[in-house]
Amino acid sequence: MRNRFPFFKNNPEITYLDSAATSQTLDTVIEDTYNFLQNHKSNAHRSGHSMGAWVDNQYWLAKEKIGIWLGIHNPENRIIFNSGASQGLYDAIQLATRIDDFSVFIGGDFHHSLSLPFKNTNYNELKYIDVNNSGVINTYHLEELLRNDTSKNKIVAVTAVGNITGTVNDLPRIRSICERYNAITILDACQSMGKILHNYDGFDFVSWSWHKIYGPNGLGCLLIDPKWLEHDPVHPGGGSVVHVNYETQEYLSNATKFESGTPNLQAICTLPRLIDWLIENQNNITAHDKELAAFANELFDTKLFKSQTGLISLKIEKGAVEDVTMLLDANNIMSRGGNLCAEPLVKSVTNGKGLLRFSWGAYTTKQELEYAAEKLGEVHERISRFA
Amino acid sequence: MKEFQDLHEDLFLLEDPMDKYEFIMEYGNQATSVQEFDTQEFELVPGCTSRLWLRYENKSFICQADSTIVKGIAGMICDWYNQATESQRQEFSLEKLNEIGLAPILSMGRQNGVANLIKRIKYMEYWGNKNPPK
Repeated sequence: MRNRFPFFKNNPEITYLDSAATSQTLDTVIEDTYNFLQNHKSNAHRSGHSMGAWVDNQYWLAKEKIGIWLGIHNPENRIIFNSGASQGLYDAIQLATRIDDFSVFIGGDFHHSLSLPFKNTNYNELKYIDVNNSGVINTYHLEELLRNDTSKNKIVAVTAVGNITGTVNDLPRIRSICERYNAITILDACQSMGKILHNYDGFDFVSWSWHKIYGPNGLGCLLIDPKWLEHDPVHPGGGSVVHVNYETQEYLSNATKFESGTPNLQAICTLPRLIDWLIENQNNITAHDKELAAFANELFDTKLFKSQTGLISLKIEKGAVEDVTMLLDANNIMSRGGNLCAEPLVKSVTNGKGLLRFSWGAYTTKQELEYAAEKLGEVHERISRFA
Repeated sequence: MKEFQDLHEDLFLLEDPMDKYEFIMEYGNQATSVQEFDTQEFELVPGCTSRLWLRYENKSFICQADSTIVKGIAGMICDWYNQATESQRQEFSLEKLNEIGLAPILSMGRQNGVANLIKRIKYMEYWGNKNPPK
């Protein structure tokens, strides 16, 4: 699969282990971006000419392909394009909190984008669901929190895979508990999408970004349960309506009503061929990911959570995490260190020191992980002399 | 007193980034301005990706940091600044650091941190060891 990513041909000296932050880009995505900008740039939905029709076709084809990939019926009613997962989560939270008398329960392995939009909402209680020693959400604690909560409405916001834990949360059980308590469910699927195919039926909102799945920057998707179509858009504007008059307006009846303005068409037009590749390679991608997780667990002493997918986070004993990432960078190894946009959990498990994270993609090799382990040893040795 | 970039021209001459970092870490270990002290919240320099504290006392700057590399960079700056003439101090900026080849090895976050350190030095020199306005 690696030969489908031009980055590695152009930069053979780089060991890229920061795919959880952003992945490298599939060749078809680069080609289709150029093709759109050089040959097809025009607007969707509103153009009366053939170029606009071409873009329209790509737009609807992209939604159709997402439907096939994720096993979703009527994707036109369920897929919203946006700027990325953070916008998707923000919009989901805006829609979900248009109610009175509600409490919020957030998985303790949350990314900041899943928690911050709740801060200005009118909740009765905001509580965090424990993460157990294996790095997954404690579903017994979730059930206990929901059972003891006296608010009329409940909202549960969780990640599918934690961006510091690399562990897979028990989504079927979370969904079944939430169904029992009639809770609205918001899922951050950034670290699972493209690696593990989940069944997302029954979740109210599922958000992800395409730049983490070998795709373009500036494009995300929010998958919604069709019942949310009854709501007015979070960002009303051009492209979200059928009719507007001076007093009233009629919004579109499909998910496009939540996409006012011109969408990121040069990114959307790359999705059909990207998704074809994902569908064709899904089994290989998932198997390769699992194999690398097992290999990383053998190579690195995480002192924290055993990886199940995508990434491994390490506690650093000597020196600061930042020193380690800079010295790894001096060896052309791209890693990530610090609070990883999950500050509360990282602080609690590292006493404020931060974590070092290596993360991989379909193109990553075992040799690259071995090289990182070897250089990490050398870096530790150098830092030990001074720390 | 030499200019900052002349004082640290050795750093510029080192080609391997690992050697540059080693030079910086070694400097942090021997810098007179890097000292242990009971840090206060307001002494934390904002914008650094790891924690760096700066104190101004007896007309000298001392610093402390979690990161060995940050200790080295801050130590180089504070040591030089403590001995610099007034006109040298006035002219000191982030660019002077870049002239010794620091820019390519500093991430944008770290460059912001160093820029904030220089700002904080200049603020404290004028206003003393106190909390700058938000």
